Amino acid sequence: MTIDEIKNVILEIIQDIDDEADLTNLDPSEALRDQLDLDSMDFLDIVMELRKRYQIQIPEADYPQLATLDSCVNYLMPRLEAA
Amino acid sequence: MRKYPLLIIGGGLSGLAAGIRFARFGQKVLILEKHSKIGGLNSYYHRQGKLLETGLHAVTNFARPEDKHAPLNRLLRQLKIPRRNLVLHEQIFSEIIFPGRASLCFSNDFNLLLQQIKEAFPGSTLSFTDFVAALDQYDPFVLKANISAREYVSSFLQDELLVEMLFCPIMFYGSSEEDDMDLSQFVILFRSIFQEGFFRPQGTIKDLLELLLNQYKSFDGEIELSAGVDEIFTENNRISGVRTSAGEEILCDNLISTAGFPETRKLFHSADSAKTFSNSNAEKISSRLSFVESIYLLGQSEIKYLPKDRTIIFYNLADKFTYHRPIDPIDPSSGVICFPNNFQGTEKDDVVQLRVTHLANYDAWRKAYDNKDKSMYRSMKKFWMEESKKVVGEIIGNCIENIVYEDSFTPVTIERYTSKLQGAVYGSPDKIKDGRTNFENLYIAGTDQGYLGIIGSMLSGVSMVNQHILNKT
Repeated sequence: MTIDEIKNVILEIIQDIDDEADLTNLDPSEALRDQLDLDSMDFLDIVMELRKRYQIQIPEADYPQLATLDSCVNYLMPRLEAA
Repeated sequence: MRKYPLLIIGGGLSGLAAGIRFARFGQKVLILEKHSKIGGLNSYYHRQGKLLETGLHAVTNFARPEDKHAPLNRLLRQLKIPRRNLVLHEQIFSEIIFPGRASLCFSNDFNLLLQQIKEAFPGSTLSFTDFVAALDQYDPFVLKANISAREYVSSFLQDELLVEMLFCPIMFYGSSEEDDMDLSQFVILFRSIFQEGFFRPQGTIKDLLELLLNQYKSFDGEIELSAGVDEIFTENNRISGVRTSAGEEILCDNLISTAGFPETRKLFHSADSAKTFSNSNAEKISSRLSFVESIYLLGQSEIKYLPKDRTIIFYNLADKFTYHRPIDPIDPSSGVICFPNNFQGTEKDDVVQLRVTHLANYDAWRKAYDNKDKSMYRSMKKFWMEESKKVVGEIIGNCIENIVYEDSFTPVTIERYTSKLQGAVYGSPDKIKDGRTNFENLYIAGTDQGYLGIIGSMLSGVSMVNQHILNKT
């Protein structure tokens, strides 16, 4: 997957969690939770959705690496290479 | 032998919510429900061509759609149920009345309660503001040892009448402890009743249950009705599976029990396993609090004699408000009167409904029910319903007449249909706040995990799956 494809996957998952979330002005280097008014329960849904779609296991210890859109891309890039 | 990554005991609100959570991410889950209908403590039945609800007066935790962190909206996102698909009817307002002494009205606008306290208890206005500020800072979801809510509240509010009036709805709507409660439980209920408020979803509890069931099934969740669990099997400190009432053994990786803490313990047949599950004696983990709930269907002509603006009345006639098992079969000196027709925007019905709840004595009802003379139980019910009606008449200012249909559930009725021991609808006074048990793959969800009410029990199911099971394997 390319950087843009990964970003789009994340955005699509977020839109699915909260279809009223405004994703147009998202700053990719800022924390997603702060910008989208999400809480830890919603955040778990991103992890679970990635697991369901791409069979990737993200251990709890790695959750902080999914904090921003940019860090998501960095973290997921090597793991989604084959996808 | 069948095997599931997750088995859930109980198809009530917490079990359904837990099931939806787990099934949503593509994993196999089976709910086993003992009764022929889903819903548990919040179910329904049909009489007189009418659907009657068994538990629901009002749902607490009202929140506006834009308040994304409110329990109601968090729950709906977790269940993947769009808020806009639901029509919610807010309460008009409710009243706490201690006749001859004071009355406090409250609505889904917290300012009404503040204003009412200012008028009725001018000397307590400032201390009440401090009290609310302290509660706002309090996190009831952080695990800590039990703190007496009575002592905490009295440390802010010196007026004992005000303290009792605040405790009246909070205890009636969720306390499993006599005359006091854990502060965390108090804070959860204070927020859900006074700061968030009451509503009803459009339709009946059946519609809500069907919405949840359809959601569960849409994620391929499996459910079996009239399928009780008779025994839980263990192997090396883990749960290996269950045996159903039909005699089938089903294996599982994880088990969530929503049956209740003492009720779950009864499912361990070996003394060692039961002891491992809980060392506390049965007395300590069983609640003494249960209720008699009456439903009255009144002819349309009665509507002019009933309050039109109050949704729920919490009352107390005694000198001191007490909340414990009464000596008599019921204690009509305090109670809750609910007018299900008095929610904003509900459609007019040809019959008017009235629901009344009083504290009850389980042992007295059980004794009468078990008596060889079956008329004992019936006549006891009749006698105490008449006593109840008299008091309700006093409170609402008119006697209840033109009754088309009436029915009441005693603690025995509740025990028979929900398996809640002693009909204790608010569960054990000993809450398992983190949901964990001494078996590493058995979790407690629902009322005995400590989140309360309809929204609370569903959040409990969701949280236990999130915290302990999802993404753990």
